[in-house]
Formats: sequence, C-alpha cells, structure tokens
Amino acid sequence: MSRSQGKPIGVDAQLVSDPAVGLLVKAGAVLSSSLDLTTTMGQVAELTVPRLADLCVIDLRDDDGSIRDVAVAAARDGIAHGLEELRSRHPLDPGGEHPVARVIRSGEPELLPEMTSMLLSSFAQGSEHARFMIDNGYRSAVVAPLLARGRTLGALSVLRFDDGQPYGEEDLDLVCELARRAALAIDNARLFSDLHGAEQRLEAILVNLAEAITVVDEHGQTVFANQAAADLLGADTPEELTSARPGTIMPRFLVSDEQGEELDLERMPGRRLFAGEQQPEPLLVRNVVRATGEERWLIVRASAIADHETGRILYAVNVFENITEVKRAQLAESFMAEASRVLASSMDYAETLQRVARLAVPQIADWCAVDVLSESGEIERVAVHHSDPSMLTLAQRLDQSYRPALDEPLGVPEVIRSGEARIYTDIDAAALATYARDSEHLALLEAIGAIDVIIVPLAAPARTIGAITLVCTGSTRRLSHADLALAERLGRRAGTTIESARLYTERTRIAHTLQRALLPESLPEIPGAEIQALYSAAGELNEVGGDFYDVFPYDADRWMLVIGDVCGKGPRAASVTALARHTLRTAATGGQSPAEMLGTLHQALRRQPPGADLCTVCLVMLAPAADDHAHARFTVALAGHPPPLLISASGAATPIGHPGTLLGVLDPIEIKESAAELHRGETLLLYTDGVPEAGRSIEQLGEHGLLELCRQAPSLTLTGLLEHIEQAVLQHVEGRLRDDIALLALHLSPAKPHQA
Amino acid sequence: MLSLHGELDMASAPLLQSKLESAEIEAAAIVVLDLQELQFIDSTGLRIILAAHERLQEHGGELAITRGSQQIQRLLAITGTEDHLRVITTPDATLV
Repeated sequence: MSRSQGKPIGVDAQLVSDPAVGLLVKAGAVLSSSLDLTTTMGQVAELTVPRLADLCVIDLRDDDGSIRDVAVAAARDGIAHGLEELRSRHPLDPGGEHPVARVIRSGEPELLPEMTSMLLSSFAQGSEHARFMIDNGYRSAVVAPLLARGRTLGALSVLRFDDGQPYGEEDLDLVCELARRAALAIDNARLFSDLHGAEQRLEAILVNLAEAITVVDEHGQTVFANQAAADLLGADTPEELTSARPGTIMPRFLVSDEQGEELDLERMPGRRLFAGEQQPEPLLVRNVVRATGEERWLIVRASAIADHETGRILYAVNVFENITEVKRAQLAESFMAEASRVLASSMDYAETLQRVARLAVPQIADWCAVDVLSESGEIERVAVHHSDPSMLTLAQRLDQSYRPALDEPLGVPEVIRSGEARIYTDIDAAALATYARDSEHLALLEAIGAIDVIIVPLAAPARTIGAITLVCTGSTRRLSHADLALAERLGRRAGTTIESARLYTERTRIAHTLQRALLPESLPEIPGAEIQALYSAAGELNEVGGDFYDVFPYDADRWMLVIGDVCGKGPRAASVTALARHTLRTAATGGQSPAEMLGTLHQALRRQPPGADLCTVCLVMLAPAADDHAHARFTVALAGHPPPLLISASGAATPIGHPGTLLGVLDPIEIKESAAELHRGETLLLYTDGVPEAGRSIEQLGEHGLLELCRQAPSLTLTGLLEHIEQAVLQHVEGRLRDDIALLALHLSPAKPHQA
Repeated sequence: MLSLHGELDMASAPLLQSKLESAEIEAAAIVVLDLQELQFIDSTGLRIILAAHERLQEHGGELAITRGSQQIQRLLAITGTEDHLRVITTPDATLV
C-alpha cells in the first residue's frame, strides 16, 4: 500500500489534455453548482465511473463518529443498490480495519493496487460483506480522505474490479485531489446546513421579537427576516423579503439622515461591516414610505456572522429599532422651544408670527399661514410661508380674492368660532369642490394642492383670537395626529403671547394719553425769552411716570418755572404730580414766596393717606427786566432737587441754589432761597435726576457729565441743546432708559434774532 | 444691621421694605443700614429708607446709615436727608 499526501495537481503543459484534469474541471463545476450535499456527492461519484472506477463510494463521518455512505456510483446499477443496502445493515466500524475506517482515522490516503480475497475478508463487515466484495471482483482501490480545514470529514473510495487496470501512484494523486475538492464543498454545505439549523432555532426566537431583524449576505440578499421586519419594510410576509432580489426593497423608501440629507445606503451599518469596518456605529435614519408618505425614525444596528476560522464576514444581522414616537416628541419639544423664543423676542407680533411660520416649514408642513381676528371681526392674514417662494404669490391671490368671513361654515372661521382644532387628511377633488366658492377659487385651491390640512386656534386664555393653518401638499411627509397635537400647543403659545402683546400695547396707549394730560399742553410765551421742555419716559412704558414740570405766571411781572420728581410710577405717582402742580399754582396766587410755596406743598403731601409720597421740586421765580429784557433776576428754591444750571453764552455751566429737604416725609423741612441774574444769551436749565443718574451704577453720566454736555453746545438752539442732552443720556443707557428724564430750559434771547 | 449691595431701586426696594418691616427691626433701638457696598439709590429706595426711619421714630428708635458711593452721598445731600438721618462713619461705631 502506498501512502502519500495528496499533492495538489497543477495544470501544467504535460497534463493539459490529460483526462485527469478534465475530470477535475468537471468536478469543480459540479461542486460549485449547488449546496445540496447529497446531489452533489452523487454527481461527483458518477463522474468517476466508469473512466476512473467501476465503483465509487463517498463516506462521511457523522458527529457521533459513525460512518455513513452518502453517495455510491457504479457502472452496473445493481452493485450500487446492493452496496447501499448492505451498508445499511452492516455499517462500517469506525474503529475497524476497513480501509475507509482507517483512512478516516488517520487522515492519510491508501492505495490498494491488488486486493486478495484474504485481504478483503480481513476487513469485511461480516461474511455477507466479504461475499459481496469477492463475488463482485473487488480488485484495486484508492481511498482518499476528505480533508477540510484540518479535519477529516470522510473518505472517497474508488474501486476497480477484476477486469480493470489496477490503480497506481498517479491515480492516488488524482483521487486525493478530487477528494480534497469534494471535502471543501461538503464543508461549505455543512456550514450552510449548520447555519440553517441554527437559523431555524434562532428564527423561533427572532420571529416573535418586536424589533425588526434581517440577515443579509454580502451580495445584499436578505436570507432571513422576521415578521416585524416584514411589517417595517412593507412586505406581507418575511418570505417576500427573502425572495426579493437585492436592491429591490430599499427603493421603496426615502431614507435620509438626521440632518435631512438623503442617505447613501453604503453608510448603513450592515454594508459597512462588509466593507471591513469592525464595529460600525448605529445609525439614526429617517425612513419615509414613498407610497404613503408615512415617516418613521429608526436606529439601525448591525453585527456580523463571520467564518470563525477565516474571519470572513458571511452575513450581517441588521436590527431596526423604531423610535418614531421618541424622536417626534424630541423634535416637537425643540420646535416649541424655538417657536416660544421667537414669539417672546418682540412685541411686533406680525413679525414674530412670520418667523414662526418660517420655522414650521418644512419641518412640519409644506406651508403655514396665520390669521388674526381684528377688533372689527375681520379675519386678517398676518403671516404666510411656503418652502417654494413662487407659491406665495398664489397664496396671496387666494387670500385677497377669497378672504374668509367669520360666518363661513368651514375652515379658519369655523375654528375661530368653535375654538377647536381640525385636521383634514386625504383631501380629494370632491372635498375641494364643496369648499370652493366658484370655479376660479377651485382652480386656485387645486393649484395649491393640499392633501392634508390642520387648522388650530390661536388660543388666548379667554378667547380665540385667530388661527394657524398648516398644509401638506405631499412633497415629503403627511400630517398626522401627532402633528395636530404639536400645532395645538403652538396655537396656545402664540395666542397667549399675542394677547399679552396686544394688552401691553393697549396699556401703553392709555399711559401715553394720561401722561399727556398731566403735563402742560403748551408753554406760555415769556417776552424776551425762549422756553422749551423735553420729557422722555423710561423704556418699558406701560405706566405713567413721576417727573413733572410747569410754567405759569406768578404775577403781572414774574413767572414761575417748576420741575419736580414724584417717587415712583403709576396712577398714584400720577395723581401726586397733579396735586403738586395744582398746589403750587394755588399757593402762587396767594402771593407766597417760593420757599413758602414748597412748605405748603409739603403740608399737602403730609395730609395725604400714609404711603410716604416723596416729592422733589425745583422752583425758579423769574423776573425779566421790564425795559429791554437784557437781563432777568431769578430766585431759586430747592426741595430735595438738583440745582438748575446757569449756562453762559460760551457754554460754561454753573449750578445755582441751596440744597433743601425733600417734601412729603421728613419733618421739619429746610428750604433756603438763592438769588442770581440771567443775562442775554444765557440759558437756565432745570432737570430731573434721571439725567445725571443715567447709567446707574455702571457708569453714571453724573453732574460733571451734564456740565460737559452744556459746554459742548453753545452754538445749538435751545431745542438742539435739549436734544443733545437727551441723545447723550440715551447713548449712556444704550437706548434703554430706566428712569424718566425731564428738561426745562429758558434762554434769554439777544436783541438780534439768534441764527440757528 | 443690614448691609446693602448693588442697586436700590424700584425693582429691589420691596425686598428691603419687607426686611425693614419685620418685627425685630421694628423693636430695635437703632437700625444701621450699611451702604458701603451700595452703588445706587433712586427715589423709591430713598422712600423705603425714610418711611422706615419715620416708623422707628414712632417707637422711639431710629435709622442710621453709613456713608455710601458718590451718587448716594450726592442724593442724600440734595434731598437734605443727611440732616435727618444719623450718618455713621464705620459700622463698628454702632452704639447698641
């Protein structure tokens, strides 16, 4: 017996036309044609007969070690059946001396060129077997191990009977090569059937899992899918997926990533596994069913089934987790946060609503419109946005020509009246026709192409003040009840914000009206002098301010200039300013001196219900010279108020006056009058502490700042000077005034008219 | 003694007011307001302080203040408040 390791037979010139090579080529074709083990082995065995053998047997070793014949081929039919039948009754003993058993144990081939009867009897499985072999003339045999990945799977035996050519060394090499190739095919087939067995076990588990699972091979063929996957991917059964050709399933969907960019399917984790990536990251995808517009959010994960010897990836297992609910909720929250921020950013609600409409498109709908109910009961369009700007003209035409009226049965009017949200889906031609007023209206509506519509009320706490309309024209996704819930939230938020803004504006109007009533309508004319006042109320104006001023005749020759500051704001402060002006005017008619007038006012304030109404006042009594108005004497009385500034023609400013106690709380008060003179070309400036205190603690303008401003402005007109000061104050507070400012200025005009 | 920081104006005055209206303050013989860290007072703040002073006086007590920022000093001077409230140079110089 000859033994050799089966040498691989190369195709070299010598052997090209060799029938052995021809045999191997044919065997190769058979072996790669099918994974059905039995058929394949049968075909291989048949290939060898009759050219190479009179009888060919392929035996495999089972897991339990027993030897089983899987293929028998013989020139004469009867022999094949006979052997099979014999083997079934007398299987080969794996530990015995039969060449097949020995080869399987050793992994080494055996060449038995001449087998004597005695030899045959020595390894026969019983007398019947011996009889069979001898009677059929078993003469020569080659038994080659089926070796794959270092394991012996079985043996391939070829036999020639008495009249055949005995086998030699070349035959041994050929049979070993044939056996090697057959063994590889068997191994793969077994692997596949193992996998199939495992799959079947797994399927029992997977089929019932809620998560969608598919197993895909490197060609993209789905080899396994559970019912959840079928449901997700639009198939009735998993079989529909496994029988679908690669590349035919995914086109049913519009797949994009979180940013909305269409996804290259090579980025899917399963594909990346096959591309060599070890552990591809899970991917969040947005998957829209093209046919229905249904949108889903999925997390896709993939893991590999690899050949555990070579590491080659055989399959990718894809798991799809449906997180549509969670993702929608998250998107809804971030939308609401952004919308709220926009709504709160400005009091101009037409502007903020336009921005909100832009936010909603295309995230929620293809277009969005907002209508508001005016005071007169008209429905006014305040905002509209479409992702396609050319469609906006269409929307405007529709709005202009077919403005809905509050009494109409459907649409925005109905929502405003009922205060309830509405959703209309799958709008068809018939529905549009019912709603349209005439054929042109219908044409416009059809051009808009609405498929789904949501209308929600702008819900202010007490009433509905308008409606938001969302329209989907089917370009990307459809509107659902989840969108309705979000739209209702938006409607409430927008409604509340607008109502507050409107009320705010209302309060502001009232405040301004009131304020105007509390200040002098016009300033009297003082001969030889120019007089100007400026009042600037603090920023968030919906309350009346506490600063006041007044100018009135004291007697036939003299005038009273008043400026004051009542602590606080609002109706109470307003009433105190009115009291102050009234009290001072009345005291003047009684002939009281400025200091006495302030004492009277102080008493009046003390008599008010407790609440410590503080008031600071600056009084200037002016006595212009009767003859040529070249100068004027004046008296200053201060009660807790900054002193007026005497500004020379060159701009140098000097405070005039003696500090006095503020009125209304401390007792007793101390007021000291001061006297000075104003000359032609000079200005007397009275102001409230909002001016020097502008900038508060950060960086106050201060009295020195005010003096500097006066110094800068000698060539300005009186109005110019006041505006110069106001501008400086506003700059100092970066436009946001926190305290009122009031300025009252008197300029003694030169003889010639002043050039502005 | 109460120490004030930052700005005392319409917004922050109510906070001070509620502190000054508490029982223990009302019963104290002298309440010192430490204004050294205070940057700014407007008329509302002043009103709270003066109202508290008046209330304390009714019970025989008084309100004293420390010196504060330049703006505060100017305000107190213009309004004649310094003539009515005791001004303490340092808080440690309190007499209790």
